[in-house]
Amino acid sequence: METIIETIHVNKAYNDQVTALADVNFAVGKGEFVALLGRSGSGKSTLLNILGGLDAPTSGEVHIGGRRVDFSDRKALIALRRGSIGFVFQSFNLIPALTAQENVEYPLLFNYRDRAARAKRAADLLSLVGLADRAHHYPREMSGGEQQRVAIARALVGDPLIVLADEPTGNLDSRTRDGIFELMRQVNRERETTFLLVTHERELGRRTDRTIELLDGSVVS
Amino acid sequence: MIARLVEYLVVSARQVTRKRMRVFLTALGIAIGVAAVVGTVSLGEGIRYQAVEAIKEQSDLTLIEATADIRGGAIQFITPAKIDELDAIPHAAASSAVVREAYATKRQTYLEVVGIDPGGIENVIRPKYLKGEPLATGSRQAVLGHDIAETLQRYEGVRLGDTIPILVRRYDENGMPVDEEVDFTLVGVLQERDDAFDQVMLIDRGVAQELRGDDTTFDGVLIRIDSPDAVFAVVDDVKTLGLTAEGAFQQIESVNRLMDVVVLILAFFAGVSLIVGALMIVNTMVMSVFERTREIGITMAIGASPGDVVHLILAECLYIGLIGGVLGDLLGVAFSGVINTFGRPFIVAQLGDTFSTFSDGDITLITPELLVIGMTIAIALSLVSGLYPALKASHLNPVTAIRTGV
Repeated sequence: METIIETIHVNKAYNDQVTALADVNFAVGKGEFVALLGRSGSGKSTLLNILGGLDAPTSGEVHIGGRRVDFSDRKALIALRRGSIGFVFQSFNLIPALTAQENVEYPLLFNYRDRAARAKRAADLLSLVGLADRAHHYPREMSGGEQQRVAIARALVGDPLIVLADEPTGNLDSRTRDGIFELMRQVNRERETTFLLVTHERELGRRTDRTIELLDGSVVS
Repeated sequence: MIARLVEYLVVSARQVTRKRMRVFLTALGIAIGVAAVVGTVSLGEGIRYQAVEAIKEQSDLTLIEATADIRGGAIQFITPAKIDELDAIPHAAASSAVVREAYATKRQTYLEVVGIDPGGIENVIRPKYLKGEPLATGSRQAVLGHDIAETLQRYEGVRLGDTIPILVRRYDENGMPVDEEVDFTLVGVLQERDDAFDQVMLIDRGVAQELRGDDTTFDGVLIRIDSPDAVFAVVDDVKTLGLTAEGAFQQIESVNRLMDVVVLILAFFAGVSLIVGALMIVNTMVMSVFERTREIGITMAIGASPGDVVHLILAECLYIGLIGGVLGDLLGVAFSGVINTFGRPFIVAQLGDTFSTFSDGDITLITPELLVIGMTIAIALSLVSGLYPALKASHLNPVTAIRTGV
């Protein structure tokens, strides 16, 4: 299986004192659905931010899609976020001023695709997440689950290699949570998009292909 | 590039419409500043316009005189070649070289004498005769301007057809001055013109050159211009030839010089209120960036570059500037109307004698240029004010912005 994420001796320390990540080594294959487990403060989010090019490791190497990430090259990091990574955040984080459709299109604005192609793609993805009829609703008019579905559609709009989801079900009740989780699994199976799901819920972890557990910044299993 | 800007504007329009009240109030801050500038400058421009119109109405604007000047270290004389060049200037309808001399009458009345070809009088000066008739070429006849004719009649009893005895000073072989009396016959008196010709005695140019004993040099060339709009262009051409130009247009020049300063001072004081407007934009946008810290972090996480963020924020400022500019122009026109209604009686009372046209004209003048300037100020100021908030937003660290943002 093609390796799509690989970290080699990744360390992250804040102010040379607080160690967030210590010698993290792991690999994720193409199309895998992996849960990154760990208590709060174990370094999960830091790792996710590094993989998404939002944060830089203190030392070590990160390879995304077979290429080493150069954390000193800001333009390359922006290109990585535009082309290879889709983010889903805990608190939905849609842009309140934009409709569902516009929120999904938003990342493509920075990819400079033409408007018609953008609208078509966003509409397709909204149908995929089951919200075709909510395209012109604003985030405040939608439930938490619906907002998170829009956020998933937004993460997928750039056709990324990897979707990085940081506690995507953290703010949802259990039934909605299952729906969102199943949606992500479905996308994973149908499109072979790699998912890395940060969660502190072991129960969710058991329903993924594989779990990586972090404890105090190190991979323990 | 243009397409990209349109995209930013579309997204920013959504942000702006979401906070209509805040955007409106901020834009109003800029609008008041713009209105103050537009209103006060329209007053200055209105007074300038009225003054210039009054000059145009009261004086013979299309008559100028080119005279010798020192340019680039060399004196430019009025030579036959120069006269030909002056004739060739576009819009110079007619011209006539003149000789100027100062004499006194036998009873010591000072006389400013202009020697000019009689045909030139008719074609260039185009006078109206109060009484009498034009000069005859080569004879010792005189036509008097309105004021000097009155003076000579009052103090010397000179009337139409009478002789005006003039003293011409010559020097004998020992260098001693000898005053020779030369008699001129008064054949015509001009109507009042309200210019320098009211004080002038016109004689034949050949006769004037003979009195001076020199028939090769001229003191100036009178030029009649075919249209009032072409005056300043002709003046420029005259200056290009190295000569100086004189005429009623100089009054317009001095009014313009004065009003430039007045308008600048008015605009400066009115412009102070623009600073307040600019600070309001800075404040609004800094607040807006702060409120949207998390949103900006997300935007960057999903692929926006810092440059994209700067453009998005500046696009919002552009809307504030546009709204402020339109509102400012509208308020400025209204302000100008108020000045006109309530200020005119006061201004007319102060200046009514000087500029009689004021009583039936507006004292403020709104030109399209002024409105464009108002709009430009609003937009430029809003973009400059937005620069700090925009840069601040683009320097946010997406990780901390998403984690800590509101």
